[in-house]
This record gives sequence, C-alpha cells and structure tokens, in this order.
Amino acid sequence: MTACVTLKPHTKGKGTIRRSEPQFDMGDVIYFCRKGVESIIDDEVTKSFSAQELESWNLLTRSIRRFPHRGLRLTLLWGLGVLIRYGILLPLRVILAVTGIFLFVILSTSVGFLPNSKLRFFLGEKVHLMGYRFCVKSLTAFITYHNSENRPKNGSICVANHTTPLDVIILANDRCYSLVGQVHRGLLGLIQRAMVKSSPHIWFERAEVKDRHLVAKRLCDHAADKTKQPILIFPEGTCVNNTSVMMFKKGSFEIGCTIFPVAIKYDFRFGDAYWNSSKFGLVHHLLRIMSSWALVCSVWYLPPMNREEGEDAVQFAKRVKAALAAQAGLADLTWDGGLKRTKVKDAFKEEQQRLYSEILLKVHQTQKQEKCFEDETPEGD
Amino acid sequence: MGAAPTRIGQQDPELVERTGFSPEQINNLHKRFLQLSGNKDTISRENLNDIPALAYNPIKSQIIEAFFDKRNQHDSEVGSLEEITFQQFLMVMSHFRPPTLEMTAEEKEAMRKEKLRFLFNMHDTDGDGKITLEEYRKVVEELLSSGSIEQESAKEITDAAMLEVASTNVPHMGPEDFYEGITFEHFEQILKGLEMESRMHIRFLDTATVHCGKS
Repeated sequence: MTACVTLKPHTKGKGTIRRSEPQFDMGDVIYFCRKGVESIIDDEVTKSFSAQELESWNLLTRSIRRFPHRGLRLTLLWGLGVLIRYGILLPLRVILAVTGIFLFVILSTSVGFLPNSKLRFFLGEKVHLMGYRFCVKSLTAFITYHNSENRPKNGSICVANHTTPLDVIILANDRCYSLVGQVHRGLLGLIQRAMVKSSPHIWFERAEVKDRHLVAKRLCDHAADKTKQPILIFPEGTCVNNTSVMMFKKGSFEIGCTIFPVAIKYDFRFGDAYWNSSKFGLVHHLLRIMSSWALVCSVWYLPPMNREEGEDAVQFAKRVKAALAAQAGLADLTWDGGLKRTKVKDAFKEEQQRLYSEILLKVHQTQKQEKCFEDETPEGD
Repeated sequence: MGAAPTRIGQQDPELVERTGFSPEQINNLHKRFLQLSGNKDTISRENLNDIPALAYNPIKSQIIEAFFDKRNQHDSEVGSLEEITFQQFLMVMSHFRPPTLEMTAEEKEAMRKEKLRFLFNMHDTDGDGKITLEEYRKVVEELLSSGSIEQESAKEITDAAMLEVASTNVPHMGPEDFYEGITFEHFEQILKGLEMESRMHIRFLDTATVHCGKS
C-alpha cells in the first residue's frame, strides 16, 4: 500500500553552479498531483464496496442504474419477470422460509430437553441440517461444492470470505459448524437461542465483543475440544462485494489450530448477493435475495493450513487469504474492510510525508556537503 | 461497461469538444462520478475526502481544492465552488488528459500551458495571480511531514528553493529587497525545461470488461 516515492533525478543544469534546484520541488508536486487524481478516478476500496456490474441485463432493475429504454419487447419481458418473481417465487419462498424456521425452533428446543448424550448431539446435528436445508430451498440456492474431501473436520477453524449473512446457510448446508457472533434481539435472537440449545455455538454479548482476550479464550477452549464442530469465522469482518478479498483480521489465526479455508463465489447474473449494510437492512436484503431469480454459487474447500515455523499470525493470515483469493478468482487486496465505515488514519499520510522528507533531507545534506567541500581550501579536509 | 451504459458521452457532443475526451472515456468517468457522489448530480469535498487511496497523498487537500477552484473551469472567475457537477468535474479532469499522436505543435503547446496553469493555480491559493513566498512554502511543507523532520531543515529547504526561484527573475536582488511573488509567466519560465506531457497525465484503462471469476 505504500506508494513508492521514486523521484526521477533532475539532471538539469541551469548553466550556473547553483546548490539547490527548485525544480525538484515543483516536479515532485506533479508526481503527487497525478497520483491523487488517479485515485480519484479509480480506487480499489470504493470498487469493492459497491455492487458489481453486469455485462448483459438480467431483467432485475436493481442491478443497473437506470432503466434501459430499448423497446417494448424488453419492457414486456421485464414486466413478465417481475410478475413471476414477485407473484410466484417470492410467496413460495417466504412460506418455505417461515415453515422452516418455525419447525427448526420447535425441534431444536425439544432436543435441548434431552440429557447431554450422544443421542442429543446426533439429533441436534440432524435438526440443524434440516433447518439449513429448508433455508436453502427457500432461497432456491444452487450450490456446487468442490473438493469435498477437504471439508472441515471437528476441532478446527473454518475461514471464508464474506459477502452476505447467508454465507452461513450456504456453508452449513453441507456440514454443521459452530457459529460465532453477537447476541441479537428479535427474531434473530430467538433463532440464536434455539440454536444454542441443541448445538454448541459461541454467542457474545455486545459488551464482551470489545474484550479481545475473552473472545480469544472462548474460541481457544472450543477449538481445543476435538469433538466439537469446527468454528466458522469470517476474518474480513464485514461484507465485501465478492470481487475481491480484503484484509483478514489476525485474531482467528493466533489461536493455533488447523485452519480450513473455504472460498465462496456467487454468480451474480442470477441476483446480487452482496449485502451493502449502509444501504439497506437485513430484512430488505433477504427480500431482495428472495425476489431475485436464484442464488447460484460455488464453494471450494481448500486443503487445511497450519501456521509454519517462524511465521506470525499476520503472515499466516496473508497466506491463507492469497490461497483463497486464487482459488475463487478474486482480487487479493490488502485494504482493511473496516474502511467501509471509517476513514484512513492520518498516520498513513504522515508516513508518506516522512519518506519524502527523508529523501529531500539526504539530497539537501549531500548538497550542503558538496558546497562545504567546494568552499574549503584544497589542503583542508 | 454496464448493462445499460450511461450514454452521456454520445448524448452531449459538446463535452467531447470542450474537454477532449473520447465518448467512452466520458462514459467511464461518468460512472465513476456517480459512484463517488452516491448517484447524485453533484460532488462535494466530503465525497472526495472519503476515498481511502487519496488519504495517503500528502497534498490531498490541495488536489481536492483544485477540483472546486473556479479558475480551473477555463473561466476567468476567481473563487471556489461548494459542489461541482459532472461537467465541471470533467473540465478539471481535462487538464490531465494524455497527449495524442495527432496533435499539432500548437495544440501541444496549448496543452502544456493548461497543465502549467493548473499547477500554478494549485500553488496560488488566494488567487491574486502570484505565488508568494508564503504560498510556496505552504506547499513544500505539506509535502514534508510536520513531525519527523526538524523545522529548521524544512525551512532551509523551502528558503533555498525560493531564493533560487527569486534570483532567476531578479538576478541582483539584495537580501532586503521584497520579492513579490512568482507570476505565471515566470512560473512558465522556471518549468520550461521540465517535461510535463508524460508526467502529468492519467492513464485511462481500456474499456474492455475484465473477467475475474472462474465460473
């Protein structure tokens, strides 16, 4: 991310023997000017947090900026699409979803009454899987799992790139995970409480989230138990639009157990799965997904990775991220996903200034020395 | 390359005329404009301030100011705007367009003068047509950091540079003489040898869609 401050040597004598050349200041201004305007024209971060662009229209007005007035036939087709999506698909899906959640909550709570035993664990898994399968059907998700031999094993951590909260459903459709997250209120809170009754999940109170040691400890304890399901973590920390992978936060890579990376890539021709949380809330997002054509995605299970000798958590995270991005064909960015909501710290700008001033200072010192040398008599030093 | 590309380039040939961009480049810039403005018609300083990559730039505020500077609109007005429309955005961008092969010598000269004008306006913040010592020092100080370099060295560098500039104009200026400031002609003179055409233009990516995805 550090822009390389390479100044071209200004070997422009001006005919007089002068110490300093003002041009070196002016010319450098041009360099920074150009860099600045280039960032205004295009930058990686803004691109990663806006919805993707389509090559040809998929009859969803939400995917484009303005309605293409290209003739009656297209408008009719679009109208037909709207009817099908909102009149047939959406109601069916909502019914399925509601039934699924309802059944899940009841069954999960019932299983929770059983004494702690293998039977309970077994039934708990079955109930969870049933719930997820219902959800997947209700979204009409067509998921292709690749390399299932690398499916995460018990007692490990699974990391994946994050595009939408539904990533959880996509992954959990295949095997059960322990989820990590904040305790919510409302419907989501109800589901969370129901889930925890039949299967171990790690839910944090809002206040506890700030306490990183507590978080790390609970994760460690869970992961250390080799019979427990793998923990599912999204190290980016926020939803990104599925064209790139942003910086992985090092917390989950410090724990020291095996990491199973999983790459998820959505086919956005059928509907955009990216949740832009600043634009719409969760319910609106769900409705959007349910009124798209379908949710088509590919899931790649990558081989497990461990932290190597002499590698620290940050480097390990980078390595995992690179492998994940390469598999799914996403751009590997080093920007922090937190930039969605916050600004870049001034420290970075100051770093650039410091680099530049170091160069100038060296030039200045050398010139001073040269001048001293010129002024001194030949016998002097 | 969206499904329904904004056809503003084709719809407004006057833009092509005035700014020298091709219709495709105008379309791409329009898309970017909408992205930055949040799909509104004008951009404010806040929108540009939010770009993370720009935060790294030491002269970020000068660059952003340049977009809102009326002098860069090819008018003779002075002052600054609060918000800019797409046309105004394009006008400022046109200072950075690359020279084409078909340009005549006069056109090249005119373009060079334009770019110099842009740089001059960036230094001359109060708009009086002269870059004073203070204004010049301010720009150099922005490039250097405020913390890690000693004030003395920063001052030395700036003063040395300024002295150099002053002496080329007024060769026998004494230390007590008051130097008014660099005028535009003088500015041109100083940067006469500096090759700007290749340094001060933006590379525009080809408009072909890039496929990223193994689907």
